[in-house]
Order: sequence, then structure tokens, then C-alpha cells
Amino acid sequence: MSLFWIVIRQLAEIEAMQATSKKVITKEEWEKKLNDVKIKKEDMNKLVMNFLVTEGYVDAAEKFRFESGTEPDIDLATITDRMAVKKAVQCGNVEDAIEKVNDLNPEILDTNPQLFFHLQQQRLIELIRNGKVEEALEFAQEELAPRGEENPSFLEELERTVALLAFEDVANCPVKDLLDISQRLKTASEVNAAILTSQSHEKDPKLPSLLKMLIWAQNQLDEKAAYPRIKDLSTAKLEGPSI
Amino acid sequence: MPTSAVSHHRPDDLIIRLSSSSSDADDDKLKALRYLKNQIIGNRTKKLSYIKLGAVPAVVSILSDSSPANFESSLSLLVQAAATIGSFACGLDAGVKAVLDAGSLPLLFDLISYPNEKIVDAGARSLKIIYQSKLAPKYNLFQEKNLESLMLLLNSENENVGGLGASIITHSCRTSIEQKALSDAGVLKKLVSLLGGSLCQREASLESLATITKENPEVISQLVGLEERALSIITELTKDKYPRTRLLSCLCLISVRNTSPCYLEDMGITPKLVPILLDLLDDPGQVGDEAPFALSSLVAGNEDLQNLAFEANVVDKLCDYFQKEVLQTRRLQGILLALADLCSALEKCRSRLLSLQVFNFVTDALTHRNAEVREAVCIFLKCISRSVQNLSAGNFVKESIISLLIQLLNSSFTSVQIAALGAISNIVVDFTANKSLFIQSGGLGELIQLSKSMDSSIRLNAVWALSNLIFLTESQFKDDVMLELTTTALYGLICDSEASVQEHALAFLKNLVDGQLDCIEYVFAEEGLLLQAVGRQLRSALKTEVLVQGMYVLCNVASGVEFHKEGVMQELLQPIHSNHQPMIISFLQSPISQLRVICTWTIINLTFPSSPGAPDRAVKLRNAGIVPQLKNMVNDSCLDVKLRVRAALGQLMTFGDGLAAV
Repeated sequence: MSLFWIVIRQLAEIEAMQATSKKVITKEEWEKKLNDVKIKKEDMNKLVMNFLVTEGYVDAAEKFRFESGTEPDIDLATITDRMAVKKAVQCGNVEDAIEKVNDLNPEILDTNPQLFFHLQQQRLIELIRNGKVEEALEFAQEELAPRGEENPSFLEELERTVALLAFEDVANCPVKDLLDISQRLKTASEVNAAILTSQSHEKDPKLPSLLKMLIWAQNQLDEKAAYPRIKDLSTAKLEGPSI
Repeated sequence: MPTSAVSHHRPDDLIIRLSSSSSDADDDKLKALRYLKNQIIGNRTKKLSYIKLGAVPAVVSILSDSSPANFESSLSLLVQAAATIGSFACGLDAGVKAVLDAGSLPLLFDLISYPNEKIVDAGARSLKIIYQSKLAPKYNLFQEKNLESLMLLLNSENENVGGLGASIITHSCRTSIEQKALSDAGVLKKLVSLLGGSLCQREASLESLATITKENPEVISQLVGLEERALSIITELTKDKYPRTRLLSCLCLISVRNTSPCYLEDMGITPKLVPILLDLLDDPGQVGDEAPFALSSLVAGNEDLQNLAFEANVVDKLCDYFQKEVLQTRRLQGILLALADLCSALEKCRSRLLSLQVFNFVTDALTHRNAEVREAVCIFLKCISRSVQNLSAGNFVKESIISLLIQLLNSSFTSVQIAALGAISNIVVDFTANKSLFIQSGGLGELIQLSKSMDSSIRLNAVWALSNLIFLTESQFKDDVMLELTTTALYGLICDSEASVQEHALAFLKNLVDGQLDCIEYVFAEEGLLLQAVGRQLRSALKTEVLVQGMYVLCNVASGVEFHKEGVMQELLQPIHSNHQPMIISFLQSPISQLRVICTWTIINLTFPSSPGAPDRAVKLRNAGIVPQLKNMVNDSCLDVKLRVRAALGQLMTFGDGLAAV
């Protein structure tokens, strides 16, 4: 049986358990209860498809659609465009990413000043990373400074970014976290979310929420009973109960 | 093709390339256009500078000139040109103007009928952006043909085109006739179906529905009749995960509730709107800025809802924002107005707010650079100063606030002046301390100056403030005020062209003569100038409140000495213009109970047995027919009138016996 099935049954069972007040449940009893829980395969497929689509795994989504007959809830073609943008940012090609977003939907950057600012900020970071100090200075003056003028709430972050220019050894300065790949990923994620919202799609996949719910439900039940728990989500192994 | 970070394309070169008329240059034109588009999207500063350089007409001419010769590149040019125009107009008034002046509107509308989806999208998006601005021309909803085109837009499969239809409605539907025309054309059903569509369709539809149903009970009942579940659907949307959807659906429901409350009563949704709006306040963007305004329109004039909001700790939550951070202008204005509405009637709200010690921000807001914020804080002060116990304890009226308010009387914005006058009116009405503080700070001269304003609203509010100022004061104080105001000026105000100004001027006079006997002399000064004015207004005025205040004056004067009572008698027996009956008889027949009460009091004052002239006055009144009139009123519906009438008749009867009857 797939891990997924186990997780979902676990969750359903715990939720049912909340109503009763048993103290200890053996593994045998627990597994018996799990087997009685009915989950539809179509629902599972939809969750998987939702995950693939939201995270942007186009090829996998296509194959999954072919093999399982599950229809994605958005047009797979739009995923390709969106992934291209995300990838461009992740590789540090911010200008390219901006052009692609504008081709996809010119309103996104026009109506998301914070996102636009973060993309410009990333451009500056990339210039500094590549040692193009003079260009970076010019860019900061011509492109970033106006953003600070238009919107004073950006000033703090702007100052942090420009501070990179003040240090010789950028790898060890107080604002070095801006040079991390994680900064690129953060910006990429922001752009991804904005595109998804503009396409009226949920920006977060459902699967993580489900897992969070499971962990929370287990914590709640812990106060009332001892029962087999899933400790490791990646294996979905039932452990215990410890008496 | 690697591009450099900073533009090496000079802007003026760019425009030349755009305007090139050679068809060979299409490729280059496209490159230049794309470059321009990417330069300006999100960049307000660049938009403004390109507009100054004349880029907009160049781009618009691409729309009009696109040659069908090279179809492929023509398509791309159209799409890019449309997108660029839309971006110029996005969130920028100067851009909208430039784009309209260059004649882009009809060209963009043409794009919607193209057989190419990308072009249709581009055109519709840009049009939608333009119609979000107040500067866009009004779409004529009275024309049959236009309504048909609008319906076509709404019915389109294309999401952007449908959204455009809804945007046009939100922008252009202003009057109830237009609302009805749209409703009759079948727009409501379509809009309700859009509520189940994509995010942008839902939001566009909510805005349109709010616009069409605004203050129009007929359209609202059509909506409910057509689509029973319409209101339930909108209610569900108040729990939507997108904050803007929640806000727009709240606004829609609030608008319906304010016009036709019956539909929402069974659903019990109205109280639930308070926590939803409170939650929206936390949104850092535009939604959070607009949320307090929605709260205002929800609770304004409704004590039950104000109570509910109070129980939900709205006052605390709103005041929290002041401690937190420097507030963006719109949000600050909204919070002040929301607090004003919450404190407009309930003392517990005012007390709670005052206990939170957030008064330093009030002084700051009085000098805020934005006029709307200054106006909002004055409105807030007007409401909070209704708290008599706090006013008397001197809890918040300090010299600093009074001098700042007086400064605002000089504002170049009428709305700010009027709001400041409102706040001052409430602050000076009770408690000598506040009145003296006001005069010491130089406020009197300002008020008198404003009472001479060309703007009638300003005159009205200034006179009101003056009237409150002298309410229940000593004659010395009144003398000081009249010395500056002068009898002549007061005469002018009583005879003002605007009835509401007359009303308050008479109220001023009423307050002036109320109290010590010597104050009544004012009415007889300069050969009875003011008394004549009162008489004249009483004879000719149509507005009830003018008659009421005028009679108050006469009633107060009639409580004075013989000379005063005689003066009043003269006026009362004069015929009024509308029916030529003696004033006193006519007013006793008035449907307004207050007027009847004041008149009977006046008669009581005039025929008070201890005054020497009372018998003569009684005769004159009888001759005018007062007794049958009063007898008619013995069972008046108003208790006050009934009691006074009996007292007056009683007094008149004591002179009756033995005197010649009519």
C-alpha cells in the first residue's frame, strides 16, 4: 500500500478518534481501524496532480495525466511559461525573467510594487555578485532609488542591498545573506506565487497542508491516548504505541 | 541576446524608431516597442519621463498604422502596443490622460473584435485598466446600441473581455436611471453568474453589483427576485481566501443593507461583517487601507452595530494602529473616520478611546500634510467632544488643539474649514473654560470672518459655532462677542439668502437674549433693528426651523419687562404672508408641535398676571381671536401643548370677566 494511503488513513482515523476517549490502542487494533477507512483513489490522484502542477513539474504532470486519466485543474501550457520565469530567476537571469513575466501578463508587475522591487533588487545583487561594480552603482541610482522614492516602505531593504556595494569582501559582510542562493529562491517563489494568483490558481499545493494537519491532529490526540504514530513522514511508518 | 543592466538605448532614439514609417523597419519597431514596454512596466518614474518625451502618441500610431502586409509581425506589434498603452495608464493619472488624448480608446475597442485571442486579451486588459481611472470618459449607458455592445462584452467567453464589461459598469453607472436601464437589459443575471468564475471575474462582478445596486431599492429587489441565492453567494464570498474578494463582498452587502435592510435581516450576516472587516484591517496593502472605510459605512448611524463593534474591541484595535507605525495617508484617514463613526453616539466608545491615551496622534494629524486627513481628524474631534463628562474634566481639550483648530479655519480647503467649525462648535458649547480658551486663542475673529464667507456652508457652520459659543454665558461675555460681531452683521445674517443660515442666526439671537434681562436690550438696539429682522423672517419664511428659532427669540423677549413684551405683541399681531392671518393665530395652527408649544409659552409670558400691561395685552389677544383658537387646542395631541394651553387659557380668563368680549 502506498505511503500516501497510510498517511491519509491515519489522518482520517485520528479525526474520528477525537470523539471517543480510549486510553491505549494497540498496533493491531489501530491497523484494523485504518483498514476500515474509505478513501477514494480519484481524490488521491487529484492531490498528486495538484502538487505536480503547483510545483511546476510539467512533464511529470503530463505523464501522470496520461497514465492515471486525472485532469489537471489548469492548462499545462501555462505551467511551462511560469516555470521558465521561475527558472530564469533561480539562475540569476532576472532581466530575462522580467521580460517573460511581462509577456505572460503585463499587469502582474504593474500591480505588484513589492514584487517588482524585489526583482530589481535581485538584479542589483546579481550585478554585484558578478563584480560589475560600476554598472551596479548606475543601476542602483537609476532603477532602485526611484522605487524608494515612490514607496518609502522599501527604503530599509534598499539600504541593506546598497550596503553590499560598500564592502570589499562581500562574502563576509553583514548583509552577505543577500548573496545566498536562498535569496534567489525566495524571489523566484514570490514571482511564482504572483503568476499563480493572476491565473486564479492556488499558490500553495494541498499536500503540505494535509501533512501539517496530520501532525497537528496527532499532537492533539497525544493528550488523550497512546496509539501508533507516524513519526517519519517520508516513510509513513506506524510506530508504537509506547506504553 | 545578452542585454545590459542599464539602458544603452537613449529614450529619444527609441521614440524615433517607434515612429518610423518604413514598413521594413517593422522588426526594429517591434524590438523598440518591447524594450519600451519592459522599461515602463512597474516603473512609475520611467512612465512619466517617457510621457514627457511624447512616447504615447508614437505607440498609439502603431495601433492605427499596423499594415496587414506582414501579418505575423503586425500581430505582435498590436499586442505589444496595446500592452504598452495599458501600462502607461496603469495607476497613473498622467498616463491615462496621455493615452486618452492620443485617441487610443476607439483603437483598443477595435482590437476586441479581432479573431486572434492574444490581441483580444491585450486590448481588453488595457481597456480595463483605463476604465479603472476616474479620468476615463463616461460610457453612455443611455444609448441602446451601447447597452447591446456592453452585453456582448459581458457575455464573452474571454475572461478579460467579460471583466472589461463589468469595469465599464462600475465606472460609468452613476444615476438610478442608468442602474435601472442596466438591470432591465439583463445585466444582473450575467453578473451573478460571473460570481462563480475566476478570481478576476468575481472581483469585477462584485464591484459592478455594488455600483448597480447602490441606493436603489428597486434594483435590489430585482436582483433578489431574479436570483434568490444572489445574496447568499455574496455572503459566502465574505469568507473567501482572497482578501480583496472578502472586502468587495462586504462592501456589496453593506450597500444593500444600507438601502434595503430587510433582505439581510433573516440571514443574520450583518453582525458577522464586523469581525471580517476587523481582520481585513491587518492586510498591509490597499485592502487594509480601504477596510476602515467599509467599517464606517457599516456602523454609521446604527447604534446596535456600533455596540457590536465595541464588544468586539474595535476601538482598541483601531487605536493600536497609531502606536504601531507611521501610517499611510489613506489608512490614517480611514481609521480616523471609523473612530469618529464609532464614537458618534455611544459614550462607552468615547470613554474607551480616551482611556487609551492616543491623543498625541490627534495633534499630529491636525497638521498632517494631507487635507483629507486634517478633515478626518476634525470630524473625529467633533464626535469625541460629544462626551460631556470628558469635556468637563478637561480631559482632552488643550490649548494646543484649540489653536490648531483655529489655524485650520484658515485652510484653503472648504471641507477642512467646515470640519474644523464642526469640532469647534461642539467644544465651545459647554463649559466656560473652553469658551474662554477659544477666545483667548483668537478664535472669535476667525469665526466672525467666516460668517461673512461667500460659501453658504461655511457661513452656516460659522454662525452655528458662534451660537454655541454664547450659549449659557454671562452678559459680559455676550457683550464682548457682540462688540466684535456687531448688530448690523447679525441683522445681515438673520436676513441671509440661505434659510439654514437664517435659522442659526436666529438661534444665536435666541441664545443671546436668554438669561439676564439686559441681554434682551440687544433686540431693541439701533431702533429695534434685530426685532424687525425677526418679525420679517417670521412673516415670510417657509422653513420650519426658521419659524421655530424666531419664535424662541420672541418667547424669550416676552419674558422681559413691559417694553419688551409690547415689542413682541406688535410682531405677533401682524399678518403673515402665506395666509394673512395674525402670526400668533397662524402659528398656533401649525402642524409642528414645537412651534405650538413655544407660542403658548409666549402667550403665557405676555399675559403673566403680575405684569401691569397684561390686561391690555389680553384684550388685544382676545380681539385677535386667541380664545377660540386655544379652546380648540385643549386636547392637543402633544402633552406639552395641552398643558401650556390650559395654563394660557387660565391666565386669559382671569382678565376675561367684565371686559368687553369680541
